Amino acid sequence: MNILATALGSPTLPPLADPASSSNSGGGFADAIGAAMSQVESAQSTAATAASDLLIGGKGDVHTVAIAAQKAELSLELFQQVRNKFVQAYQEIMKMPM
Amino acid sequence: MSLFSAIGISASGMDAQRTRAELITENLANADTTRTPEGGPYRRKDAVFTSAPAEQSFAQALSDFSGYPAQGVSVSQVVVDDSEPERRYLPGHPDADPDGYVAFPKINPAEEMVDLMSASRGYQANVAAISTAKDMIARSMDLFK
Amino acid sequence: MHLAHTAPLDLGRFMSYLSARQEVVSSNIANADTPGYKTQDIETEFSAAFAEARDAIVEVPGLSSKNDGNNVSIDREARLLAENTVRFNLAAQLMRGRIKDIRSAISEGHS
Repeated sequence: MNILATALGSPTLPPLADPASSSNSGGGFADAIGAAMSQVESAQSTAATAASDLLIGGKGDVHTVAIAAQKAELSLELFQQVRNKFVQAYQEIMKMPM
Repeated sequence: MSLFSAIGISASGMDAQRTRAELITENLANADTTRTPEGGPYRRKDAVFTSAPAEQSFAQALSDFSGYPAQGVSVSQVVVDDSEPERRYLPGHPDADPDGYVAFPKINPAEEMVDLMSASRGYQANVAAISTAKDMIARSMDLFK
Repeated sequence: MHLAHTAPLDLGRFMSYLSARQEVVSSNIANADTPGYKTQDIETEFSAAFAEARDAIVEVPGLSSKNDGNNVSIDREARLLAENTVRFNLAAQLMRGRIKDIRSAISEGHS
């Protein structure tokens, strides 16, 4: 729930997780956002560790840091795509007459 | 980091070969020096190469390899030839002894030249190694783009 | 989402192996005239996908020694220098291609 709100930057997001009103895709999107978010955090953490290991500890290689940085970026881009799809789907749902 | 360490190792190789070349050049220049400030003829000098651990953190050495770390090189000592000098019969020579013999350095210019070429080749090989390592680092940096 | 495993990790590991090999080749070249020095190399178990490779510095068998015990062959080391850069650059190139492919796949909405 919090993850969804954070992703969309909107504190007034209605509770899609509410079983009474959610469609099948509601929980699926929440899971997708959650999974993508953890992957972003994990990839960014790995990249940060690789960078400081090399810069401070002199351990590792430049290509290792570069690859980790790219993976973090790609994870973020993927996350943004998933979020955008979610926003589109949500907007479609909201347009439906009740 | 392997590639930085490689450069350090190659640099130590360049240093050692250059020192070796300088000693050989000194030998060649003094091949006929019969009188030195220390007394006696010039004595041939030789560089002794010894493996020296590359400069890398202890932690890195432990975690990167299960074997021993790659090693650079250094000139650990300069050996001065202290064997009997070569004696030639030249009675009129200013440095001749009472028997008319002059003590000359035991230096064979042809051998020294061969040695010098070897030092030069060794130096060049280290330069090539540094160039390769730098290229690999540059390619690694490209991965950020 | 295949970002987490397989190919990019393997290429990265391969590049690490080549970097380590570069260091060892440099060591051999620096010690080409060191009495008693034995040529070193990196042993990698290629059987496992590179992600599982275990690197170790080992001595190279089958090289002939000079009188002082040194067995470095400058020809061998020069050849490895050239081989190493080519393989490394190729791996880096492949990696860049892969990253680019993943990026376009993401922005086209496929994942």
